[in-house]
Amino acid sequence: MSEGTGFERRFDRQGLLKLAAAGGAGLVAGRAGVADAMRAVSLAESGRLQVLDWAGYGNDGGQAMFASYVKTHAANKPQFTYMTNESDALAKIHAGLKPDLFRPYVGWVKYFATSGLVQPWDPSKIANFKHLNPFMVKAGQYGGKQYGIPDDWGFDAILYRSDKVTPKSRSWALIFDDRYKGRISWFDDLNMLTVAGLYLGVKNAWNQSDAELEKSQKFLMAKKKNVKLIWSSETNLWEAFGSGDIWIAYAWPNDWVQMKKKGLKVVYMRPKEKPIAWVGMFMLLQGSPRPDLAHAYVDSWSSTRSAKWLEDNYGYGHANVVARPASSDLLKALQLTNPRAVTEPNAHLDRDIPRRAVYAKYWEEVKAS
Amino acid sequence: MNDVALSKNGARVLRGFFALVVVFLYAPIVILLIFSFNNSDIPAFPLSGFTLHWYHQFLVNADLRASLETSALIAVMTSIGAVVLGVLSSIALVRRKFRGKAAASALLLSPLVIPYVVFGISLLLLFHTIGVPRGMFTVVIGHIVITLPYTILVLVPRLEQIDESLEEAAYDLGASRFRTFRSITLPLILPAVLSAFLIAFTTSFDEYAVASFVVGSRSTFPIYLYSALRFPSQLPQVIAVAVVVLIVSLTVVVAAELGRRIAERRVGAA
Amino acid sequence: MGLPVAWLAVFFLAPIAIVAAYSFDVYTLFPGPHGFTLHAWRAVAHESVYLRLFWKSVKMSLVVSVVIVLLAYPLAYYLALSGTKRKYILLLLLIAPFLTSYLLRVLAWKVILGDQGVINSFLFWTGLRSSEHPISQLLYSRFAVMLVLAYIWLPFVALPIFVSLETLDRRLLEAASDLGASRLRAFWAVTLPLSIPGVIAAFFFVFVPTLGEFVTPSLVGGASGYMYGNQIVDLFGAGFPDWETGSVLALFLIGVVVVLTVAFSRFLQPQQVTAE
Repeated sequence: MSEGTGFERRFDRQGLLKLAAAGGAGLVAGRAGVADAMRAVSLAESGRLQVLDWAGYGNDGGQAMFASYVKTHAANKPQFTYMTNESDALAKIHAGLKPDLFRPYVGWVKYFATSGLVQPWDPSKIANFKHLNPFMVKAGQYGGKQYGIPDDWGFDAILYRSDKVTPKSRSWALIFDDRYKGRISWFDDLNMLTVAGLYLGVKNAWNQSDAELEKSQKFLMAKKKNVKLIWSSETNLWEAFGSGDIWIAYAWPNDWVQMKKKGLKVVYMRPKEKPIAWVGMFMLLQGSPRPDLAHAYVDSWSSTRSAKWLEDNYGYGHANVVARPASSDLLKALQLTNPRAVTEPNAHLDRDIPRRAVYAKYWEEVKAS
Repeated sequence: MNDVALSKNGARVLRGFFALVVVFLYAPIVILLIFSFNNSDIPAFPLSGFTLHWYHQFLVNADLRASLETSALIAVMTSIGAVVLGVLSSIALVRRKFRGKAAASALLLSPLVIPYVVFGISLLLLFHTIGVPRGMFTVVIGHIVITLPYTILVLVPRLEQIDESLEEAAYDLGASRFRTFRSITLPLILPAVLSAFLIAFTTSFDEYAVASFVVGSRSTFPIYLYSALRFPSQLPQVIAVAVVVLIVSLTVVVAAELGRRIAERRVGAA
Repeated sequence: MGLPVAWLAVFFLAPIAIVAAYSFDVYTLFPGPHGFTLHAWRAVAHESVYLRLFWKSVKMSLVVSVVIVLLAYPLAYYLALSGTKRKYILLLLLIAPFLTSYLLRVLAWKVILGDQGVINSFLFWTGLRSSEHPISQLLYSRFAVMLVLAYIWLPFVALPIFVSLETLDRRLLEAASDLGASRLRAFWAVTLPLSIPGVIAAFFFVFVPTLGEFVTPSLVGGASGYMYGNQIVDLFGAGFPDWETGSVLALFLIGVVVVLTVAFSRFLQPQQVTAE
């Protein structure tokens, strides 16, 4: 038996009997027994679960998020490859990497849903699905199917030192303010063009026309001289902010919490043009040989316990609405008591950018300038 | 003899300059050392108190240790490969006559040029096309390409300085090409070979970009570091590791150097 | 010679050919129509912004390379020719920083150069500057990138110069001295010319890789210290499926350096060192 290939193992007589028993047990035990039956069925899938995720979410620190999965599926422990961003994940997939699941963010849901690379989830197989924020859940849908399961989330807004900075108004204008030349930090993402669009008042910042995009780009290029640092990792931002190199930054809620912990006088400003909300989405790869294991993994991630761990340790929000972080500051910054926090009129939920390639090109040119 | 190249005053001035540069080189490392004991998540002044916590954390961090082992193994294999190829190349460049030497040396040095991230991606594509699974050996392959120019750049000047007539004499006495190499050339270029080995080793051990693309799901030390730089909770213990790596490698290199000099003295070396 | 060349042909030239094919859209990972086209090349030529970035990186690399070769030469000279008994230990001392992690040495510089780093806090303490006005241009600037690159590469550069000086035949210098030349004269006429191959090798050691550098600029360069290498990384890292532009930039860099290398290759050729 131990010599057999996975194929044989999956279909050996004992396995088949187990499958039948599990199925039968499921029918008898009812909905409560589904999870157990699922567990038994997913034992028919073999090998380690291949996960493509961001750094910090694997065995390099994120173990608590899927600890319950590992306990029940010790033979199918997750194996991680890391993605630096969605483009990188896309490239790796096209280059031949075969993960079972990965985690792009909400702005990419439509792209991947229509790419043929992913398949929809079956929420009935995810016990914790009912605890997930309905607005985020909706954002993970396309064509009526659930392509993305929301997990971590946060806001893009402005962080500034109240002892050094007096904003002229509650607006994105602050990260473009000439008065604070050399003290500003932007985020390394083409969403800067979106923000420029929001500030300049275009109709749809996520789908700007060529003319609008040109204007946004010219605007960013003109304001780039005020920028000291374009951050891509939070650690970088915290160092620079904490040491006083930066006074104003495009930032996430936890950045405010952390700077406050350092004793700095900081304000997390929600601009009048609205902050942007981002949400991570688990997606299931088309042709994965382990879909049930993937569902079990996501279920573990979606549990209240994992959600609370994420909030307490990484400072991101979690789609599980039951979970509450220990930090009241984080609670406030994430507006966790407001179930509509991520949607209009409170914030702009990040969304698909149809002309993403053009935005990407323009942003690269801003950086080169 | 000592006075021929430098007067006593000249030597004094240069010695002072040398000392200054050494201080400049080591100051940041001393700072790392200080912060490895600093009781704070973020390395910034003012200091927050003494702690051994980070050293303890690093010792129980299995992932970190695994990445160190992976890197060390890869570096050793890379260095051996790069030095062997480097010696072959250097001898051919310096001693042999053949057409297209300029082109050959351009080719051999060209990996210096390519941005490692591009090389990493293209290597990934190559391995995908020919169906090679990614792992430690694919990293070794990439690293040998990267470190080969360095070994050549160290070996060629040394080979140039060696008198060809010594080797010719050996041939005249009937020694085979290999024997000549082993008994005459190799001992004379040994310091350069060791330098080449060290350079290849440190380059490979430290290399991030290429490794990140072709290592598959394992982690090398720089990859672990780079991702740790994104998560402040990891940073202090990683600083502690860096201090340990420095001390260990310094010890190893010094011991190797002393060992080499003892061996040289025994052989009655030049 | 066969083996090294073959190795590079397979594991270096072939991948580069793939990158070249990518830039001409002959090959692509992303499914969809493609075929030979100069479209990406024309686009880059049209957008002068990338070429300006390249020129900026060239200037930075040049400054760094020249400065540290000038700094490294006296160090190597001292080690090789002063007759100091501990030359290998001292050489080791010089090279040893290289054995620590590159990433963390750069991080240490961030601590030194920051607004509340070692330099600035020292200035506050001595009252030379008030704590309201730290020197902010130290970190996240072109200066920071050049300083850190110089710091990183200095030990590296000393090595080939040392090797070429160390294997210099002392008898030549003695002969010069016997003939009545001053030490300075002997240096100009004998030592310097003979060590030139090592110096040029050293210059190449540093100039070429720093052109494509991206790690240091990404850590201490901020927005203004952004270099050509960063651009290529970003285009490949976040630009998929458009890797054509990144491929063009990469190929351009390779082309420039191949030209330089071929032009300078005569300096890297074996020289006849005569003992007569």
